[in-house]
Amino acid sequence: MADDVLFEFLHMEIVAHVYKEHATREDIDKERVTCVSTLELMGFRVGQGLIERFTKDCPTFKDDLDVMKFLCKDFWSTIFRKQIDNLRTNHQGTYVLQDNKFALLTQLSSGKQYLEEAPKYLAFSCGLIRGALSNLGLESVVTAEVSLMPSCKFQVVIQKL
Amino acid sequence: MIERMTVHNLYIFDRNGSCLHYSEWNRKKQAGISKEEEFKLMYGMLFSIRSFISKMSPLDMKDGFLAFQTSRYKLHYYETPTGIKLVLNTDLGVPNCRDTLQQIYSTLYVEYIVRNPLCVLGESLQSDLFSSKLDSFIRALPFFSVRAA
Repeated sequence: MADDVLFEFLHMEIVAHVYKEHATREDIDKERVTCVSTLELMGFRVGQGLIERFTKDCPTFKDDLDVMKFLCKDFWSTIFRKQIDNLRTNHQGTYVLQDNKFALLTQLSSGKQYLEEAPKYLAFSCGLIRGALSNLGLESVVTAEVSLMPSCKFQVVIQKL
Repeated sequence: MIERMTVHNLYIFDRNGSCLHYSEWNRKKQAGISKEEEFKLMYGMLFSIRSFISKMSPLDMKDGFLAFQTSRYKLHYYETPTGIKLVLNTDLGVPNCRDTLQQIYSTLYVEYIVRNPLCVLGESLQSDLFSSKLDSFIRALPFFSVRAA
């Protein structure tokens, strides 16, 4: 049971540390953007590594949808101990992954409190998704939105070259 | 005679004496002093009683201070290894609450405060999630009845 919290506490500290490092700047918006991209880049590298590890015994994926399904099921459950609850797509490269009880947000609130702070705790996970996809050959842009905690949506737009 | 049992209020203090949380459910009479003074009074009393008990105990101390009771209410106390002190005032029908307080600490405080990155340890607890979970927990206790004696 204690194993679950190890990553959570570390993640909490990473976010706090990144924000403290950049706190000297006066421009709040610029500072937020820098912090979010730092966290996202960290997640990117971690995601790349994780996906190599998780797919080392898997056969190649048939298409993009297959990749996304793998992300929603196996990848998500290995990291967050649950699957993505809902996957939607427009079949043209945009996917929306919905997690109704996102593991890193459940302890924050179950409604609107702390809503403005939530994006800080989603940046790393956006990077995770982007890194995982990148190493599977799919360049993407991943953003997250949250309107009612602990449910959140990750939007993935695959970049066609 | 139907035994009515109820919970009056709950205080949570950190190891430095700051009151992190206070809720009341069935308090009929206020202390007549400001909340700040009340918290200081409560903490001071706990501090004194603990030291008194350890000095004057005729036998080796096991758990230390557990509870005290008056003719109208009973005050239950639990202190965690990290110095968090939980105080619960209930009416007399309630048996030893140590387990309840321990549960409040482990399933509510640790879960929703310690694991919440936006709750600064040492400051008063702002999380709505914690307050609502605490409220449901207390109301669900077998010895909590809305009709107070």
